[in-house]
Formats: sequence, structure tokens, C-alpha cells
Amino acid sequence: MRKTRTIALAALLVALAPIAIADGAMVLFNDQVVEISATLDDPTDLWVSPDDLTRINGFVLKPEGACLDDICIVAREDVDGGLVVNRDGAKWFSVTELARKLQQAFVHDAETGVWSFGEIPVTRKPFLESGMAPDFALEDRNGDTVRLSDLRGKKVMIVTWASW
Amino acid sequence: MPVWQSIYEELNDPNFVIISAAQDTGGEAAAGPIFEKANVTYTAIVDVNHTISSLYNFVNVPSAAWIDEEGRVVRIDEGTYTRAANVLGQTIGSDDYLPALKDWLKNGADSPHIYSADKVASQIRGRSDEETLAEPTFKMAAYFYQNEDQDRANAYWDKAQALSPESWNFHRQDWSFLEQKDTMKNFMGKVNALRAAEKPYYAPMELKPSTD
Repeated sequence: MRKTRTIALAALLVALAPIAIADGAMVLFNDQVVEISATLDDPTDLWVSPDDLTRINGFVLKPEGACLDDICIVAREDVDGGLVVNRDGAKWFSVTELARKLQQAFVHDAETGVWSFGEIPVTRKPFLESGMAPDFALEDRNGDTVRLSDLRGKKVMIVTWASW
Repeated sequence: MPVWQSIYEELNDPNFVIISAAQDTGGEAAAGPIFEKANVTYTAIVDVNHTISSLYNFVNVPSAAWIDEEGRVVRIDEGTYTRAANVLGQTIGSDDYLPALKDWLKNGADSPHIYSADKVASQIRGRSDEETLAEPTFKMAAYFYQNEDQDRANAYWDKAQALSPESWNFHRQDWSFLEQKDTMKNFMGKVNALRAAEKPYYAPMELKPSTD
């Protein structure tokens, strides 16, 4: 029964690709909390606008794919509907599918709409394989941003401690 | 940690930066008074999400990384005390640590205390897939704690600890929000389990004698 199969496949595709625009989300990555005002309604994936994608993790949607510096992941809606879809003329991008392709760990709290993303493994290679110090931007107690990359030319000792 | 202040003053080297990062989800209220009491003049950060430990694969405090002028880690240590101390029956830190630091500040790449890139890579603590997942899980807990959702914070802290059982940072941060007696009970339970498994509380520190 070819027709039944086609219908079943169409139903499956509809089920896979979210349509409705849902409420926002809070996204934690790289010590930032990014508030997203609109997402696609999907219980397992986080779909955001291309602008929000850049706000979350710096990736920019280009003709060749979603790119961050020299990392580019192919993202064409006619090739890979899991990563980018078009709804009423607007593009939506799956941050979670990108994370899976990058083998980036993430956690989702469905009840509150909070997503927390771990480091992107490919960006960790210079540290793990060659000992290049991971950069960070953290606010000090005076309210100034401390960026390790601003301290080139000096020797630095980072030391952790805790009150507990 | 604040004990570095007198050493920082003694070194008085404009080309040496100490970044002291309190791994304290309790924020300024928890770590601020300790920084204040020590009158620290080096860079002081209250790192509520444990970002430094997460980035440098540290699992306990104090831990340290030395970074050269080109941004390369040249030494990475656990149990970075300024002198040898006996904690829980294990000697931690080393009286040779400060002389080694001074040697590096003076001699740079010629110091015997710095590691090659390969050695640094081998000294960085590895992470399993579960431990990797524990990182965003812990940050989720810290987010809920900061947003005063203690139930969710506890749930994600439990998950982070289950995923990364060797992270003292995760255990001790979570226990810090318990009653004091429970904190000690949990802590000693873990320490005794380590002893039974003949694992050290901190990775042993490797130090050659200083040359000068």
C-alpha cells in the first residue's frame, strides 16, 4: 500500500519539523545567559532565529553553512532539514542539532525552558592537545572584565580557591 | 587564594599577574569577605559558575595553571598550596613550590619547572563523556541557585555529582548549602572511600629542586 506509506511518511516529517512558534528560552553558554524571545515549538530541540544563534554561540549563518571562525557546518534547508528550516519566509536554526554535529554536550530543563551548553569540543583541542591556555572573559570584583588574551606579554598564574 | 597576597607583594613584578578565582556559587556573599580580609591587590574573581575549573579541567581547590607570555600553559597543578601541609593524612603542596615559581619568573623558558606542550597535555585531567556532560549540568544548577530556585538547583547538582563523582568542586559546592554537620559527614565519607581505594585526595605534585 504505497499511498498509506506516503501518508505515514508525510505525517512523520510533520512530526519531525516543528511549525508553531513557541515562547522564549534561556540559554547558558560560555558564562553568558542569553534570553531568547521566540523559538519553534519542539520538545527536544532548540530552534532560534539566525540572529539569536549568533547571540548564543557566535555562529553566523552564511551561504556555505553555520560558521564560527574557521569551523563551518553545512546548513542548507534543502539538504538538511534537521539544522535549518523555513517557516513563513523566516529561517529557524536548530542550536541542538548543531551541538550534536559538534559533539557538544547540553542539558535541557523542559519545565522552565532553560538550556545549558558545554564547551564545543573542536575549540578545546588547542588546550587539550597543545596546552594553549583556554581564554575567558570574567568580571573581577571591581566590575572590570578580565580577559586572559589581553595579558599576552605577561606571565600569569591562575589559582582557584573557595570559601567552602 | 588570599594567602598569595604577601607573596605577590614580595615578588612585586609588573610582568606577573595573579588571577585568583573563587569557585563560589554563593557569590560575593561567600567569597567577598575573605578577599576583603586579605586586602588582595591582585586580580580577584568570584567565579560563580566555576568557569575556570570547567575550562582548565580542575576538580578541586586550590588548583593552578602557569601561563607564559604567549598564552601557553607551562605548568598545571592540583593542591597548589604555598608550602607543604598535612591535610587528612596526606602531604599536599610542597615547600619547593614558591622557589619554583620564582625560578620561572626569573628564568622563563629556561626554568626547569616548566613543562613541554606534550607534558602539559598529559598533565591535564581527562574527561569521560559523563564528566563532559556534568559541566553544563553543574552550570544549570548554578543558574537555578542564582535565580533562587533551590529545588531545581539541588536536582541538577545531584545529577552533576552523579556524572562526575571525582569532582570535589561539585560535591563541596553542593554540600556548602547543607547544615554544617551534614557537610562534614559527606566530606569524610568521600575521603574515606578514596582512602579505601588508595587514591590521593590531590594528584601528587611533581617538583624538581630549584637550581638557584
